[in-house]
Amino acid sequence: MSHGPSASGGALARAPHGHDDTPYQPVFVGDRRKDLDAILLKYPTKMAALLPALWIVQEARGWVSEPAMAEVAKALELTPAYVKGVVSFYTMYHQHPVGKYFVQVCTTTPCNVCGAEDVVNAFLQHTRCGELGATSPDGRFTVIEVECLGACGFATPVMINSDFLESVTPDSVPDILAELP
Amino acid sequence: MGYPHQSHPREAVVLSKHFGDAEARTLAGWKARGGYQALEMALGMAAADIVTIVKDSGLRGRGGAGFPTGVKWSFMKPGDGKPHYLCCNADESEPGTFKDREIMRWTPHALVEGCAIGAYAIGAETAYIYIRGEFTEPLEWMNKAVKEAYDAGILGANAMGMGKRVDVHVHKGAGAYICGEETALMNSLEGRRGNPRIKPPFPAVAGLFGKPTTINNVETLVAAAHVLKNGAAWYKQWGRPDNPKSTGTKLFSVCGNIARPGNYEVPMGFPFKDFLWDLCGGPLPGRKIKAVIPGGSSVPIITAEEAEGALMDYEGFVAAGTMLGSGGVIVFDDAQNMVKQIARLARFYAHESCAQCSQCREGTAWTTKILERIRDGQGTMEDLDTLLSIGDSMTGNSSAS
Amino acid sequence: MCLVEVEKAPKLAPACATSVMEGNVVHVHSPKARDARQGVLEMLLINHPLDCPICDQAGECELQDYTFQEGRADSRYQEPKRFNPVEDFGGDVLYVANRCILCTRCVRYMDTVADEAVLCVSERGDRAVISKFEGEDLTHAWAGNVVDLCPVGALLSKDFLNKARAWELDRAASVCPNCTQGCNSVLEVRDNTVVRMKPRSNDAVNQFYLCDPGRLDYRWLNRADRAEQPMVRSHGALAPVDWEAAIAQAASLLKGNAVHVLASPMLSNEALFLLGQLVKAQGGSGAFTVMTGPEAPLSGVPDLALRAERAANVRGAELLGFAKGGNPLAGLTTDKVLIVADHDVSHLDATALKAKAVIVIGTTLPTALSHADVVLPIANMAEEEGTFTNLRGRVQRYFQAKAAPGLARPAWFVLSDLVAAAGGAPARYAPGEVFGALAASHAHFAGMNWEGLGLSGALPAGGAA
Repeated sequence: MSHGPSASGGALARAPHGHDDTPYQPVFVGDRRKDLDAILLKYPTKMAALLPALWIVQEARGWVSEPAMAEVAKALELTPAYVKGVVSFYTMYHQHPVGKYFVQVCTTTPCNVCGAEDVVNAFLQHTRCGELGATSPDGRFTVIEVECLGACGFATPVMINSDFLESVTPDSVPDILAELP
Repeated sequence: MGYPHQSHPREAVVLSKHFGDAEARTLAGWKARGGYQALEMALGMAAADIVTIVKDSGLRGRGGAGFPTGVKWSFMKPGDGKPHYLCCNADESEPGTFKDREIMRWTPHALVEGCAIGAYAIGAETAYIYIRGEFTEPLEWMNKAVKEAYDAGILGANAMGMGKRVDVHVHKGAGAYICGEETALMNSLEGRRGNPRIKPPFPAVAGLFGKPTTINNVETLVAAAHVLKNGAAWYKQWGRPDNPKSTGTKLFSVCGNIARPGNYEVPMGFPFKDFLWDLCGGPLPGRKIKAVIPGGSSVPIITAEEAEGALMDYEGFVAAGTMLGSGGVIVFDDAQNMVKQIARLARFYAHESCAQCSQCREGTAWTTKILERIRDGQGTMEDLDTLLSIGDSMTGNSSAS
Repeated sequence: MCLVEVEKAPKLAPACATSVMEGNVVHVHSPKARDARQGVLEMLLINHPLDCPICDQAGECELQDYTFQEGRADSRYQEPKRFNPVEDFGGDVLYVANRCILCTRCVRYMDTVADEAVLCVSERGDRAVISKFEGEDLTHAWAGNVVDLCPVGALLSKDFLNKARAWELDRAASVCPNCTQGCNSVLEVRDNTVVRMKPRSNDAVNQFYLCDPGRLDYRWLNRADRAEQPMVRSHGALAPVDWEAAIAQAASLLKGNAVHVLASPMLSNEALFLLGQLVKAQGGSGAFTVMTGPEAPLSGVPDLALRAERAANVRGAELLGFAKGGNPLAGLTTDKVLIVADHDVSHLDATALKAKAVIVIGTTLPTALSHADVVLPIANMAEEEGTFTNLRGRVQRYFQAKAAPGLARPAWFVLSDLVAAAGGAPARYAPGEVFGALAASHAHFAGMNWEGLGLSGALPAGGAA
């Protein structure tokens, strides 16, 4: 599960963007600092470790907050604004807290012609998210439409956090949700 | 083997031979299937001789542009004192395409081997495999394979004990279609926004980290290993006798409204009609094929009639008014509202535009708005002229196109 | 926006990013190139508001100019335009996102020239906007240049906001008077008031840039409490007189007396030269002090910084014989005539400003000098022509941007009269003639001539010193 914060997911989901009352706890301490140091060895520049560093942040926190961007910037000798520009370019980094389960349903044309919109609607209905991008009242789910997941022959592919599901149909949605802890 | 279906007898199974065979994923399993023999061979050869063989084979880039691989490799000038890099483009972001995904899921060591051979051939010590972030499973297998290869001494300072340094690193993308464009990929790998660069300079002169770089698609590098192991003549056995420009086998991903979607490996020049009906099983029951996009969503769409006459190679698809592209075949049947689907595709490009060039940034958003208006029954005849003219304005006038 | 057709090239080339190669044939005005540029313009305009009438950039807007040159007459865009709120970027900069065409000049400037990447492009596609990190503002000393670099009205100067229309401004080539760097500038004037100072390009000095403290410090050029008429002390009080009477009175006070001159390092080389002649002829001394502040370099440009010494002509004053620093009144004794030539006296001990006689040659008459015997009102640097010598010895001309108040005259003019009246060289009534005399008599200026200085100035024959 690369995206999902564990038990604190629901609380995070309700925290307003970037303005938590609790003081910021650095991400790059202990093993995560060692992971980053190991990553830095793979590249001739520190900047090249930016995407991997942001992945570490998201795995640890569930999203990439502004204080986290500042921490990454410092670690890689970049400016926070630079990091913000990169974070916002890539759609997989969350700039806001999301539900414990982040559900991405591919609805690009190849999946769309196979009925992907019905799959989206099934997720919206069964998770009680109501609308795309919104987090369900229980904080467990956020459902979005995603552009091409690169598994077009297995329509409709769905990602739930880092789990990749193939050939999802509206009928299979309740079972998929029921199996989530 | 086939995946998710069994191989069809008319397929030419080379790269996809071990799809669906879980044992081929491990180092031991890969070696048992003849793996890393090509790399061992390569490291014992002069780099220039490898380039010559790949050149002679006629292998062309499988990512979309179809540039001759050996020629691309020959642009690199080893020994100029600079670091050189190989990039493997595993971003596979073109809608309709999912062949590299299967290569990495089932035969990750084939890609490690292909990268190591490619790196050695162009005089690079380091290869980066840039894999799109959504490919969580391929990423897992590739990371495992690379680790296994390092642990076994296949990669590293003394690759295969043959005194050459070959490093291969996996780099995870984070959700951006444009990073499949080669210079955008390099920017992304460097930790930047994935904006394509203005060319020249071309990557062979100033690519990744500003150093001479070659970038190849997953399928290309894996095919190159087979070429090296079996020879150029062997590879050229596949293809139309009257078209020496397209050789070897090609993986086609098939999706949309088709009976048996999946990956198929066929010889270059295979009849598209036979492909769609015999291999892929034709349309869904009770339906007719209306249109096909044969090379990923960025190539021109053709009607079923035009598709039936096409031959599946670079020149064959051009003759049919479209392109081979990345080999992603998207099939539309007569139940589809084409305006709705094209509007959906337009929305994809509007979502993915990197925002660097005004024609793409504004043009993709504008076409989406017009198409969605037409879809909703609010279109005018002038809208069609406007769409055509926006299309002309975008084509060729931005960094990526 | 600069697409051109290059023969044999597969597609049109962006001229700004394409190197010319041997044998290239480039067509700038071919139908293909024109069509492409018109297409780009249309794209840039579909989401751009038609608010030129309320936009500060109107009249100096590249998008407006290009559209006028080769844009479509009408718009085919029927959909709603994109909207983003205006944002204060800190420093002197306001971001009007709706007008932004995402050229990213500002982002690249802050990154590569200012070396402080506080701006970024956020998001992508048509959602992209220029953005900054919360709490990190455009406070870099050279950040204001992004306003000049912005080709449209997306980045605006808060200082200049809604102040004037570009076409109402009179412009004069000038030199920023606010430090010793000598950045080339343009003074923009409306109704005889300086409303903006912008950089003027000079590769040898400031390339295209001007620092924020420099560009924003122009209000003193408009101050209202000026000395406007010549005055002499009569029956214990200062009384207005005409110029002839004032010069004659000053000359008679000088007769047979040594002088001590407090010379402002804001005066022109020409004025300082004539003051120096006066010191030489009368005997005596000359000195000055200069205000200082922290130095602030622009790291992407060699040898460019807001300098610690905050006056334009420190170097000129030194070259022309005035002692810098220490107590500028050290050479003053009560048997001398004190000449205060626009020097700031606010930091000096007012009780020490005592002399046999006091002549004020100034833009103002400070209270501390109300005991003056003669007051000769002069123009400030925006109101006259002259030259400054920058810290590297470059001599640069500045031009008159506005009229001087009342009867005030350029300092060189006043001093030329005074030198003549005191028995020196005959008066010269053109700044070029004064400069010619300076060049003929002073090694640093040897070989230079007024016309030859042109708009970019000249270094002494031996090169930078």
